[in-house]
Amino acid sequence: MKRKTDILVGFIVLLVVAATIVAVAWVKQADFGKRERDVVARFRDVGNARVGNAVVVRGVVGGRVQAIELAPDGWVIVHLRVNPSVVFPADPVVLLNESSLFGEWQATVIERSALPHDDVVRREVAEAGRDGRTLPGATLPGIGKLTAVAGQIAGDVASVAERVEVAFDEQAARELRASIKNVSDLSSVMSKVVRTHAADLDVLSGQLQTAVASLNETANTVKLTATRIDSATTSPEARSIVSDLAIASTELRHTSGQIRELSGRFASTQTKLDAAITNGDSVLAKINAGTGSLGLLVNDPTMYRQTDSLLTELRALVTDFKANPKKYVSVRIF
Amino acid sequence: MATATSIDRPPGSRGARVPLDALAGAVGGIGSLTLTGLANLGTTTRFVADTGLAIARDVSTWLPETVEQMWRLGIASMPIALFIASFTGIVLALLASYSFTGAVPLYFVGTLVEKTVTLELAPVLTGLALAGRVGANIAAELGTMRVTEQVDALETLGYDPLPYLVVPRVLAGGVMFPIVVAASMIVGVGAGWIASVLLLHLSTPEFTKGVRLFFNTFDVEYGLVKSASFGVAVTLIGCARGLRTEGGAVGVGRAATSAVVYSAVFILVLDAFWAVTWLLGHGDAV
Repeated sequence: MKRKTDILVGFIVLLVVAATIVAVAWVKQADFGKRERDVVARFRDVGNARVGNAVVVRGVVGGRVQAIELAPDGWVIVHLRVNPSVVFPADPVVLLNESSLFGEWQATVIERSALPHDDVVRREVAEAGRDGRTLPGATLPGIGKLTAVAGQIAGDVASVAERVEVAFDEQAARELRASIKNVSDLSSVMSKVVRTHAADLDVLSGQLQTAVASLNETANTVKLTATRIDSATTSPEARSIVSDLAIASTELRHTSGQIRELSGRFASTQTKLDAAITNGDSVLAKINAGTGSLGLLVNDPTMYRQTDSLLTELRALVTDFKANPKKYVSVRIF
Repeated sequence: MATATSIDRPPGSRGARVPLDALAGAVGGIGSLTLTGLANLGTTTRFVADTGLAIARDVSTWLPETVEQMWRLGIASMPIALFIASFTGIVLALLASYSFTGAVPLYFVGTLVEKTVTLELAPVLTGLALAGRVGANIAAELGTMRVTEQVDALETLGYDPLPYLVVPRVLAGGVMFPIVVAASMIVGVGAGWIASVLLLHLSTPEFTKGVRLFFNTFDVEYGLVKSASFGVAVTLIGCARGLRTEGGAVGVGRAATSAVVYSAVFILVLDAFWAVTWLLGHGDAV
């Protein structure tokens, strides 16, 4: 009986000890056969990376961090234990980064050309790769740093909102409304002036047309006279005089045509100007009457009050965002 | 006599004597308590020292008895310990999922179950359960031997009761408590895994990912060393209480009760002691 008890106790003790060792080895993923290979990477800083963190290649877990140790000249050496089937990309680099919001980090192996466009990271990788014996590594900023930057951005937005509020107060709105009204009045005055002078321009144009007709008539008479003289006289002097008179007559006709054309253009311009002033006057009348979006903007104080209320809410939102960034920023990785 | 006192004392002296008597009583009480405490401390220290000496001195006496005690204190306690561990694992998994409520990934259930079971619940709950079972058992057994004068008979015959009665139990407690706790750890985490798969619809890879995420061998070492200290404390207290039993059956009952109470208190004190001296600051070094 005693012998049996001894054997049973010994068996159970050994069984529990063996089970404990196996369980620990399984959880620790111990590599008894030494089938996995070791890869060494060099970093300036490893952030919150710890022994046991996953090694990820193209999004797949292919190993884990085996050891982290300090090295001379300010370096940190990280030993990665990688499954034998895992093939690294050409020219690999190791990035240490957070894999979740809960303090979990991982070592991501990527190709150098796939590095993020971050000068600091690229500089770290270039510096770490100079020894040629280890994989170069860099550490990406964690959630803490990102939150700090987000807080800074929120502060800037709040500052801008504050300045907008200071610049666009009730006084500014009132002055803007007065300025638009002044422009409307000025436009109305200008319209009256143009109308008044339009009559004078009509008269002037008519007189010009009459003068041109008279000149035309005179030129014809001169031409006829010259022809008669030409036929009457055969002497070279008389012929020269006639020729000069003919040239003068031609130039007079040309000038007359130009004046007529100018008169026509002037009449057309006057008509267009009149139409434009009429349209402007109509628009300003609508604005003054408070019709349409612009009219409401100028005459309705509700717009100012709503803008003021919007800015107040924006500032509260920014303050809340600074106080509780996690409420608005939700980064989900799993 | 009273008349004589009243005649001898000057008028008004009785009022002054009463506060002096009360003060003397209070000071005497404090002194008595101090002396009792020091006497108990001395007795306990001598008992522990004698037990240590007996381990080195009488190997041939305690060795044959130790395996028998290992069976009685350890193997026989395994069912209740594993029962507690399995239900602890299940409840922990469900509590973790309830607490996370979607804010934390569910695979952290594995992390919480592993950390809590190995570091705290398996050692402490098993220790408390065994304090009730083993501590009371030892105190009652040795107490009965004391009141029936069996211990006196041993001493009369020239046998030292320590290597024969105390050392096997203390050694068995120190060895078997970690064994029972190790089995409780495995069963507790396993029960948490089964509960997670069946009740929380968590996949096995997810649960194991959570278990491995922050696992460190230190967790197991810490739990086992702590449980060994619990085993030594529980058996020492049971033996000390049992060998000091007086007053027949009532005394035996009193000894068993006090052994359980002192053991439970000591387990919690030792738990805090290990946390302060070993666990504190270890997280940064891992």
